[in-house]
Amino acid sequence: MKRREFILLIGGGLAWPAIARAQGGAKLHRIFWVSTQSEPDPFLDGFREGMRALGYVEGKTVTFETHYSPGNPQALRKIVSELQRGDIDLVVSSGPATRVMTAVTDIPVLFALSGDPVALGVVKSLAHPGTNFTGSTFLSLELAGKRVELLKDIYPRLRKLAVFSNTDHPGEPLEWRATLESCRNLGVEAAYVPFCGAREIENGLMAAGKVDADALLVFPDAVTLVHRANIAEFAIAHRLPSMFGWSEYCDAGGLLSYGANQRTTYFRLATYADRILRGENPSDLPVMRPEKFELAVNLKTARLLGIDLDVSSILFRASKVIS
Amino acid sequence: MTDGAAQSSSCTMPPRRSLFCKYFATLFVAAVVPLILGAAVEASFGYRDQRRQISAVLQADARAASDRIEAFTDGIRDQLGWMVQLPWSAGDDAQHKIDALRLLQQVPAIVSVSLLDETGTERVFVSRLLLNRTGRGIDMSTDPAVLGARANKVWYGPVQYQRDSEPYMRIAVAGSLPAAGVAIAEVNLKLIWDVIAAIRIGETGYAIVVDDSGHLIAHPDISLVLRGRASSGSFGRIKHLVGAASGAAAITGDQGNPVVALSVQAADVGWTVIAMQPASEAFASIRAALWRSSILIAFGVLIALALAYWRAHRMSGPIKQLEEGVERIRTGQFEHRIKIFSDDELQQLALRFNEMASELAISQQKSARIERLKQFLPSQVAELVEHSHELLEGQRREVAVIFGDLRGFTAFSTRNEPDVIMAVMREYYEAVGAVTTRHEATLIGFDGDGVMLLVNAPVACEQPATQAVRLAIDLQMTVQSLAGKWCDAGHAIGFGVGVAMGPATVGTVGYDGRLDYTAMGAVVNLASRLCNLAKDAQILADPTIAGRVRDSVPLASLGQRTIKGYDQALEIFAVAPVDLPLKPPGSGQRRREKEPQDD
Repeated sequence: MKRREFILLIGGGLAWPAIARAQGGAKLHRIFWVSTQSEPDPFLDGFREGMRALGYVEGKTVTFETHYSPGNPQALRKIVSELQRGDIDLVVSSGPATRVMTAVTDIPVLFALSGDPVALGVVKSLAHPGTNFTGSTFLSLELAGKRVELLKDIYPRLRKLAVFSNTDHPGEPLEWRATLESCRNLGVEAAYVPFCGAREIENGLMAAGKVDADALLVFPDAVTLVHRANIAEFAIAHRLPSMFGWSEYCDAGGLLSYGANQRTTYFRLATYADRILRGENPSDLPVMRPEKFELAVNLKTARLLGIDLDVSSILFRASKVIS
Repeated sequence: MTDGAAQSSSCTMPPRRSLFCKYFATLFVAAVVPLILGAAVEASFGYRDQRRQISAVLQADARAASDRIEAFTDGIRDQLGWMVQLPWSAGDDAQHKIDALRLLQQVPAIVSVSLLDETGTERVFVSRLLLNRTGRGIDMSTDPAVLGARANKVWYGPVQYQRDSEPYMRIAVAGSLPAAGVAIAEVNLKLIWDVIAAIRIGETGYAIVVDDSGHLIAHPDISLVLRGRASSGSFGRIKHLVGAASGAAAITGDQGNPVVALSVQAADVGWTVIAMQPASEAFASIRAALWRSSILIAFGVLIALALAYWRAHRMSGPIKQLEEGVERIRTGQFEHRIKIFSDDELQQLALRFNEMASELAISQQKSARIERLKQFLPSQVAELVEHSHELLEGQRREVAVIFGDLRGFTAFSTRNEPDVIMAVMREYYEAVGAVTTRHEATLIGFDGDGVMLLVNAPVACEQPATQAVRLAIDLQMTVQSLAGKWCDAGHAIGFGVGVAMGPATVGTVGYDGRLDYTAMGAVVNLASRLCNLAKDAQILADPTIAGRVRDSVPLASLGQRTIKGYDQALEIFAVAPVDLPLKPPGSGQRRREKEPQDD
């Protein structure tokens, strides 16, 4: 598929005015990328790909200044003062960095949140942000319960679920609460296995191995995404059917994933970046929400697990099957 | 003269310009008006055709979009129809759930499906986001979706914006068997975007969908849809304007640019599909045609300008030349000739003008000759020569002839130097000339010291006799006053006058250019004889004169006298001397001295 066709398909609805206009302007746009995650950053890569697809050339028409402060949002406060120097066209923040960026009021800020931006206070409403903030929310919270249900569908004997969560992630308590409630509804015991940031992930996994759970639920975030192969390997090793947020986890060996398409989300974010760079006001750009959710299932992993799974209950619903 | 010329030139300047302007304007208008008229008519017809064509294209595109949207909603309706084919029986909730999950898989736009049994109680609920439910759930029998579906089999709910942003609607389908219950699907209308975005009208035209109250449901720029109800104001206006128009309406589009739009109803759901195309693109071809026409018109105008200027110049140039020619002729430059070679009436006019000029020159020469002639001819004769030839023709008429003659001139001329004689003669001639002119008589000529005058020829007068006598008296008095002066200078010169009247032949005699006007007949001789008979200061008249003037002028008869050349004696009259001024003393002596000599 050609790049242009792809962008039309994925981000078309948002890129529409941009495509209607010519790809003009040789101006070099500076995009400030702030994140509390650590590098390598899969989100930045997705965003970069989206910008490239929209005709931006890195170093020529766009340049990224990345600022990472893994696990320490407060450290990013210093960076806010750097924004005052005036040559920054756009800030893109993901995760908890967004909260810090509320101090920025005169530069457009694009966010990618799993939580609710209205609750976070960065926008007034989804339809009319009314501030210098807009972006995309993943609706992780709403999907948290659904993930438990799907895991139970494929593994009806599920009784105890290990919930592997990075506490460093914003909205993580809410997500845990939603998961817990859903577990109660489904008659599943939830074992909370928190860890904080990439440094603790190995310890976290070791702890997860000790809770004697039937399955593993991993909250989607950058740290777990980066370490998805490790986590998937761990799940297979412990014969735990695993559920993740995005299909990238399944590609790396996770059993199931349910969530919005990351690539689509970041492409859309890129189209918003394009529209803002072309002069549109972020306060008029509604916050985007995904409307398509992928259910991915890795049959290879299912076989490797060697346990009795009701794959047929999932297969006819799966949008992506890895075999 | 200079004032007149300046005035005349200042008067002639504006009309010349105006003639040029008139011709120029007329020719120009004659060429340009049909051109513009033609182009305007062409453009208006072209615009109408284009408008009709745009309407047809928009109609087709809007209809296509509407069909696709109906296909979208019909697809959901049909899929839901599968859910309500079989009546509910105990224990088949699980099967229904699988059906519902498969429906979700089949139709991405459906977010959740509720399956209700015949009592309106929810039995199965599956969702993409929320937890699925099976078994008896909430009672939805009073839900408008259930009521609507039961009444009409199919029910389309109003568009609602979730969190005031994403458009959703519910579609409910009731089974043909009441026992089959009702299926309600919640549909995310963001997915209609796929339908709408695929529609391109021309290059940049597009279609949008609004609901009955003007809320935006689908737009190629989905962020407008996500603004929820807030952005519906402008779309409500567009829907109203487009709906009110028959055919395509030219309105201001949602992006503030002028567009041509047409709406079509999607009947089932009660939505309006509006197809619009930017006016700039829709009318691009007619605008291009207008441009072509404009360029052609501009070209035509330039040509018309040049032609009109050239024509008007060709017309006014020769006229200006002619006018200058007339002006030069007026100032007497008869040798001026106009050179126009236009092979038309103007050249002919110039030719005639030149002929006229040459004839004027000849005429002017004649006139000049007459002026010179006047110096030698009696002025009346000269005038007559100038004005009439008939009067100068030889003819017989009654005339009064007056002869005057100086007395003692022979002795004077022998005694004095020629220059003294010439001075006396000049004074004498001048005096005679002045009197002649005064009385409008004709001076036939001087013969030394004698003079002959004619009255009633060639110019007729009312009372020739009286006029002749008065002239004679005046002549006598004038010459006598001169004579008095001469006498003082020692020259004894007198003057006698004879007047006679009778028929005579008058006319011109002579040869070539030298012509004299004279009278011939007995009366001339008689006058001459009477003059000879007259003494100094005396005026003798013949009986004819006497008979005519007796009442007005006192006369004294001198009795019968024998006149040389006449067989019988004639009665001669002397004009009463009482009218004559008193002679200075010594004049009697002078008369006495002279008398014998002249006789």
